[in-house]
Amino acid sequence: MGEDRVEWIIFVILGTWLILSALGTVFVKSPIHVILFFLSTLLAMAAIFLALGAELLAGIQLIIYAVAIVVFYVLVITTIPWEKIKRFGGIYKSELMIASPILFILFLLMSYMVVKGKFAQPVGFVKDNVKDLGEELFTSYLFPFEVASIILLVAMIGAILLGRKEE
Amino acid sequence: MDIIKAYIILSIALFLIGFLGVIVRKNLITILVSTELMLNGINLAFVAADKALGRVDGQIFAFFVLTVAAAEVAVGLGLVISIFRLKGFEASHEISQLRD
Repeated sequence: MGEDRVEWIIFVILGTWLILSALGTVFVKSPIHVILFFLSTLLAMAAIFLALGAELLAGIQLIIYAVAIVVFYVLVITTIPWEKIKRFGGIYKSELMIASPILFILFLLMSYMVVKGKFAQPVGFVKDNVKDLGEELFTSYLFPFEVASIILLVAMIGAILLGRKEE
Repeated sequence: MDIIKAYIILSIALFLIGFLGVIVRKNLITILVSTELMLNGINLAFVAADKALGRVDGQIFAFFVLTVAAAEVAVGLGLVISIFRLKGFEASHEISQLRD
């Protein structure tokens, strides 16, 4: 019972952190502050992954999201003139008025479905997360893994083509 | 209530907050950040289901979601930069035409 209570305490702390920083990401005015709140969300996500026992995914979350993607956003913001960004910092008020009750009702419906539903029975037991994940990734999922490299290559070429200056 | 259900409800909340961000934000870059929030919510649901089932397949799918997220950021920010360079604005309500 004691371990269960510790899990719930961890869930409440990390969940509060996650939801608060996600709300900050959506509602804060300045784009730089948005990026900082987004970074806080990613750190909370990595902590939740650790709490759920997905150590490799937590590390990759830190390396790819919190370093690569966030730095990419910051670099792009620095290339765009600052006063143009500040002109469009805010949110649409009327859309917020319409969308937030609808999304709240949607949240209640989906949560009701999750709370009332039943899970499938556990089918296995993960001894070593990193080892099991690597074995599964390089045997059952070898072809999707190679396709992922093609996706990254195509995205890189597309980004170079889109981002270059017109002559 | 099972703690896995609580984590899945948290992931639904994160997904819907990201969706709200896509709807209400004005700036194109912050719209992209909100789509990243949605992808993170999906990852959380995958990992929580994995914990319930005792398998690692969901984490592999979360992996691929991460790969697609990186590709999406590269292409999306390239599009934002080229829209800005061609037209000189980046509020979502001003982009009403695909052609020049």
